Amino acid sequence: MNEAYLLELINVSKNFGGVSALRNVDFQLKNGEIHGLIGENGAGKSTLIKIISGVHTDYEGVIKLKGEIIRFHSPANARERGIGTVYQELSIIGALSVAENLFLGKQLLNKFGLVDWGKMFEDTENYLEMLGIHVDVRRPAGSYSIGIQQMIEVARIIFGGAEIIILDEPTSALSGPEAERLFEFMKRLKDQNKTLIFISHFLEDVLRISDRISVMRNGNKVYTGLASETDKNFLVQQMLGVEASHLLSNQRKSNKASISFGEKVLEVENLKKRREFENINFSVRRGEILGIYGFMGAGKTALANCLFGLKKPDQGNLKMYNKIINIRSTKDAVRYGIAYVPDNRRQSLFYGKEVFKNITLTYLHQIMNFFLKKKGEINITNELIKQVGVTPANPFLDVSHLSGGNQQKVVLAKWLVKMPKLLILNEPTRGMDVGAKNEVLQVVNNLKNQGVAIILMSSEPEIILDHSDRILVMAKGKIRKELINQDITKEELMHWA
Amino acid sequence: MYQTPKIFSQQKNSIQYKIIHIFRRHARSVAPLLTLTVLIVFFSFASEGGRFFSGRNFVNIFQQAATLAIMSTGVTFVLLTGEIDLSIASMAMFSGVLASYLLVNHGVPGTIAFISAFVVATFLGFINGLVTTRFRLPSFMTTLAMMQIASGLAIYLTKGRPFFEVPAIAHTLGTERWGSIPIIIIAALVILIIGHIVLTYTRFGRYIYMVGGNREAAEFSGVSSINVRMLALTIGGSMAGLAGLINTGRIGSAHAGGFEDMMLNSISAVVLGGTSLFGGEGGIPNTIIGLLIFGVLNNGLNMINLDIYLKTVVTGLILLIALIINVYSLKIGTESQETEE
Repeated sequence: MNEAYLLELINVSKNFGGVSALRNVDFQLKNGEIHGLIGENGAGKSTLIKIISGVHTDYEGVIKLKGEIIRFHSPANARERGIGTVYQELSIIGALSVAENLFLGKQLLNKFGLVDWGKMFEDTENYLEMLGIHVDVRRPAGSYSIGIQQMIEVARIIFGGAEIIILDEPTSALSGPEAERLFEFMKRLKDQNKTLIFISHFLEDVLRISDRISVMRNGNKVYTGLASETDKNFLVQQMLGVEASHLLSNQRKSNKASISFGEKVLEVENLKKRREFENINFSVRRGEILGIYGFMGAGKTALANCLFGLKKPDQGNLKMYNKIINIRSTKDAVRYGIAYVPDNRRQSLFYGKEVFKNITLTYLHQIMNFFLKKKGEINITNELIKQVGVTPANPFLDVSHLSGGNQQKVVLAKWLVKMPKLLILNEPTRGMDVGAKNEVLQVVNNLKNQGVAIILMSSEPEIILDHSDRILVMAKGKIRKELINQDITKEELMHWA
Repeated sequence: MYQTPKIFSQQKNSIQYKIIHIFRRHARSVAPLLTLTVLIVFFSFASEGGRFFSGRNFVNIFQQAATLAIMSTGVTFVLLTGEIDLSIASMAMFSGVLASYLLVNHGVPGTIAFISAFVVATFLGFINGLVTTRFRLPSFMTTLAMMQIASGLAIYLTKGRPFFEVPAIAHTLGTERWGSIPIIIIAALVILIIGHIVLTYTRFGRYIYMVGGNREAAEFSGVSSINVRMLALTIGGSMAGLAGLINTGRIGSAHAGGFEDMMLNSISAVVLGGTSLFGGEGGIPNTIIGLLIFGVLNNGLNMINLDIYLKTVVTGLILLIALIINVYSLKIGTESQETEE
């Protein structure tokens, strides 16, 4: 094979208990390039990265580093050989100074065996200067923005001897200018002959910064080519598979847009939250499901938090039934008839407590006087768990003993004690199997038919396309596009994100 | 798709199932109850001439534990929300001193002095709650400061000299008997029962358990954890005040000292009974068991042949062992849940 490759994967496969996550993947990394790696969730990007960085050690196939066949036996082993990974969760220790973070575990000592602070600060300063990072190395790393911390982490990895740096979704937590700064930094690293693998959902970023791009789909590597010779549409097609996308567009012929909806329930005007989102305008009507599609970090959760009174927006108005409302707390939101199903069930359920206590809590002040009537609580709970289909239908069961799908149904049920006017769902089906997914979405559709206005936020295109009447595509804190859900293909949707 | 947990396919009526089920549901109370039983049995046999196990001695134990019981009722509320109150003993001391100060130095009628002191203690508890929730200070720090403030105020009022006059109502509550039962025991029982009813059968009680169980989820359910925690700390203050007032009645004087043990004893009694320091689990029945363990231990150690100067050490060791057993039984409890699934 060609010895010019810095790293080469030949015919690599990986199975997880009979489920194949990677199939016969060939992947080549050239010295000094920025290599973009893209693919849908579950396409095999993470698995590929984990094999390269020594996390997964039991794979089939061969890896060659600088022409030499190797097999890492641990992440530490891969690091020693010059492969460093920066994950979304940084390993920077916020309370320690920048210099200490860089020298973590190998502080410089003076002749008395004490930490040589002077030299450590000086070395760190010079080193970061060389990489173009201008920070006060004595300050706690945590006092810098996520973007800077990321750069410090990369610097640390290079300082530890890394030649190949893998960046896993580095921009999803960054604001626009911060992302720009990261790209500058990446180019500078490239100029210093480092090799980078850049994983991202944002195709525009990948196209702009990468030299070459590889696309993963269903555990296969389906494409590798020069970034200058491809475009976004082509990449989306490669990610989804051409046949699949035709199938999808033929499937969706429902004429959802022609249904007329009721009065406007919620109107959002010019809403802004610094560093999270800006210029958000939309409305949602009775009986309508408004889908908000966007990747992690698009600002969906922050938007939901502002609508539900968990956070205060910096600017803008919320109107319900054409009247301006002021939501200062979640209590206010509940009073206005707003219900919120957050993306993390831990934020909504009380593990260790019975199902009925979970369900009745939200509207306890409306259904009970000062003294509780347990029988009444149980009756209400029994009715609701029947309505949403919680199994086993036992109001006394500890909610943590239910499966994920059933837990989510309990979260829905707790909002149905009194019918809400507006229901906000944030990633309501994350991590669920198909059956549970459909059951949860069935409940949501029933509520729509009963006249509830629904905002459905998700990063899964299928969920959005199958269930929304209208779609807002959100990316990097802005609404990029409003679409009526009529003959929209997954490609179109992803194109705007 | 969902899976029906195995526990429903098991034979519900088998004795084994029932025992496991009871243990699981009451894992929090089983170990403390066991500790209490062991202590009672031990002291009954070890005390000289078996004088531990007598009706009179039990009245003694209850009487000694009564003040602690009132204070611990407040502490139970506070711990259940996941907060802590280190200022209870100081607030108790201060309210007792304040009542006597008003009575002696300003000629305020006893009952009014008593009520005023109670109101002031409640207000101090409210300040604890306000600062903790609105300024987001850990209650550990807020109440540590309040501890200093309240005992400082008590010292200021007494100028170092005890008051030997207490409100008549405090005297009645602290020393007199109703029939053969000391009123102080009745008062403690009434407070414990009211506490239990509030925690178990009212909306506010439910909020306390839910906020303590998962503060974030409570907030996401439209329940203001701020109000609930503030009210719990206020109740902590008022119960401490009441305990302090009754205690001055019991000993017949009010001075700025002698309460140092009460704070730790009260919190240990609640935790020993099985109420979680992190909130959400436990309750008044647990507190009662904890109080009895404490009372039996204090009383029993006086009745066996033990060097009086070693008493504190032994008490500490037994408490440590009891807490270790608590933790282990909880672990077994949760494990038996897991294996059943």
